[in-house]
Amino acid sequence: MPRYKLVNGERIQLTAEEEAARDAEEQAWADGAAARALADLRAKRNRLLAETDYLALSDNTLSDDMKTYRQELRDFPDGKDTVEKCKNATWPTKP
Amino acid sequence: MSIVKLNNRSVKDVTAFGSITSLGSLTHIATQTASSSASISFTSGIDSTYKEYIFYFVNIHPQTDSSSAETALVFQVDTGTNTNYNQTITSTYFRSQHDESASSPALGYRTSGDQAQGTGFQNLAEGQGADNDQSLSGTLHLFDPSNTTFVKHFLSNVTYSHHGDYTMNAYVGGYVNTTTALTRVQFKMTNGNIDSGQILLFGLN
Repeated sequence: MPRYKLVNGERIQLTAEEEAARDAEEQAWADGAAARALADLRAKRNRLLAETDYLALSDNTLSDDMKTYRQELRDFPDGKDTVEKCKNATWPTKP
Repeated sequence: MSIVKLNNRSVKDVTAFGSITSLGSLTHIATQTASSSASISFTSGIDSTYKEYIFYFVNIHPQTDSSSAETALVFQVDTGTNTNYNQTITSTYFRSQHDESASSPALGYRTSGDQAQGTGFQNLAEGQGADNDQSLSGTLHLFDPSNTTFVKHFLSNVTYSHHGDYTMNAYVGGYVNTTTALTRVQFKMTNGNIDSGQILLFGLN
């Protein structure tokens, strides 16, 4: 089915070249979905780690629970290679 | 001319009001109505006439919500008569969300929505829903696009229905890293068409 663009109110059919370019754009966006989801997951993981960074200062002793929690956060992105895995992941509970 | 104090009985007796010329104005430039449109481009009307251009999105409805790929309304700009829409953008993106069952209130930055000297289309609203009653409304402000000294700042705030049935409020800001005048703006979805909705362009001076 042909696609149309709107330019200043005028409806114009895409050329074959524009159709191909649009297909490529859409495919690239779809292909990047898992990477985008993982990037967001990592960003949240980093925020959660940063929240407890002060507990890991050299003049402090980390509790075992906190050590485990922070390690689980560091490992959290492992194996999350699909959008579904990223979305459905259960985050570690902060002690 | 003597000054007449108005009260709630004298307004009807006034025969003329003096004009106020210094308040500025919001001027309608163009309206485009999507109809299964692969993209919507404004290639005229953006020049040095106004210091700020405002795009109003009214019920932008995507063809598909492709939940795994997070359908997004995106935009890019260009200069002169170019139509590559690949100017360099640095931007930020954060959003808040809530749903009808009050189960998932959240506020957060979205790294998938920002750019760092990227030339891709800028996300304005990731994860738009495409149910029959779902759409997006909001604004995009483009500041002083014809300025040849400074980069071109933009600011967008939109509210929309997420495909997961959340209400989302996205804030996007950034700049187009060029000192060449911007003359063109294009909108589209990351996947699928813009099925319906209007984009109104106004100039502010």
